[in-house]
Amino acid sequence: MAHQTEHTTNHPTFMQYVLIAIVLFAITIVEFVLIWDRAGIVDHLGASKIPLLVGLSAVKFAIVIMYYMHLKFDNRLFGTVFIAGLALAFIVGIALLSLFVAFEGGQRDFAEANAIPYVEHGEEAGGESPDDPPVAAGPVAIAINAVGDAFAFSSTSLSVNSGDEVTVTFDNPSATNSHNFVVVQNGTKDAVAGDGAAAGPGGNWVPAGDSRVIANTVVVAPGGSEQVIFTAPAPGTYQFVCTFPGHNFAMFGDFIVH
Amino acid sequence: MAHTAEHEYTTTGLNHRKMLMWVFLGSDCLFFAALIATYMVYRGQSLVGPYPVDIINVPVTTISTFVLLMSSFAMVQALASTHANNKNAIVGWLMATAILGAIFIGFQIVEFNTFKNEGLTLGGNLFGATFFTLTGFHGAHVTLGIIWLVIMAIVGAKGRLGPDTALDVELLGLYWHFVDIVWIVIFTLLYLIGGFDAGPAALSGG
Ligand SMILES: [Cu+2]
Repeated sequence: MAHQTEHTTNHPTFMQYVLIAIVLFAITIVEFVLIWDRAGIVDHLGASKIPLLVGLSAVKFAIVIMYYMHLKFDNRLFGTVFIAGLALAFIVGIALLSLFVAFEGGQRDFAEANAIPYVEHGEEAGGESPDDPPVAAGPVAIAINAVGDAFAFSSTSLSVNSGDEVTVTFDNPSATNSHNFVVVQNGTKDAVAGDGAAAGPGGNWVPAGDSRVIANTVVVAPGGSEQVIFTAPAPGTYQFVCTFPGHNFAMFGDFIVH
Repeated sequence: MAHTAEHEYTTTGLNHRKMLMWVFLGSDCLFFAALIATYMVYRGQSLVGPYPVDIINVPVTTISTFVLLMSSFAMVQALASTHANNKNAIVGWLMATAILGAIFIGFQIVEFNTFKNEGLTLGGNLFGATFFTLTGFHGAHVTLGIIWLVIMAIVGAKGRLGPDTALDVELLGLYWHFVDIVWIVIFTLLYLIGGFDAGPAALSGG
């Protein structure tokens, strides 16, 4: 009991705790201002922001374990046990990172080389695969649908031949979400969807008269179905996407013209 | 009871329960280190969006970080009140800690919902998988802490917390502050540093 009273009296006072809280708050504000683009500091920092932020966080970390968790005032064995775990955790983290970074060629190349398009179970192919043999230019019908209530098309790749008269039938079986089907120039799906947000549902979430847009359906309400008919453009890779705000990050695929 | 516990003979001369808590926290560091390292390994490796820059909201999360820091201060006051044997203050500060923790979880629920609506899912890309796993397990730790806090507040309201049972509050405090320091690390790595990561085009070369 005497031993406990002893270290209790060593504890910081109320005012000291308030001061510690203020310091922790102040460091967090500094961290935020460092990376806040409107403060303009982040542009001057460049890569040095990372050691700076890590350092500031380490200070906060140390203050909390030293004062709030009283390691500074407590028996050293408690601190040793914790710091040992922390050090081991740090080493494991560094080891894991080194292991992956040390792989030759990098994981990105590996992932891209081995990427398999995600296919929903029991789903029938909604479109032709890019490897299908080319067919003569002519009328082509493509059926595609949204996958249930998910933010996904039933196919991640569609292919046609240049000059084809393409009829896309887009079914939306979702109970809650509206979608559309838009064919755009390669790599522009997010930019088009971003600009399309201004058009609103009345404008079908598609920017009017935009050269990046090849074709689009109107917005398809839950349970609805729409068609769009257009002539396949010059050979190359295009994208198809739902431009409903936010959906473009998940609902898209390649539209390949042979 | 606590009185006898203080005089218990142990190999280290230190309280067993407190040692257990510190050993647990040391091992929990490894748990979070594995999840954080996994996030860092797969940072910038997502083949499809959404990417952090599309959805991470640093200002809002800075506010929830303040809330969690504030809760640690309230926890410290709860322990001080326990030593001072002030029943109303004990219950008040414990409940304040629990409520601030609940506000933090509220922020996280709104964040997860927003991210989900913007297309970030556990199975959608590497960012979603590593982000939700790490922050989700942290949220689970906070939730467990809130339940523990409420239980202790009820015990306190019955007048069973005081200088003799201060260790019960102290152990809860150690757990709660630990959850706070884990968040300090997550906030720095996933939000302040990683929150501006863009897609493959911007990171190519890395
Ligand atoms: Cu959609």
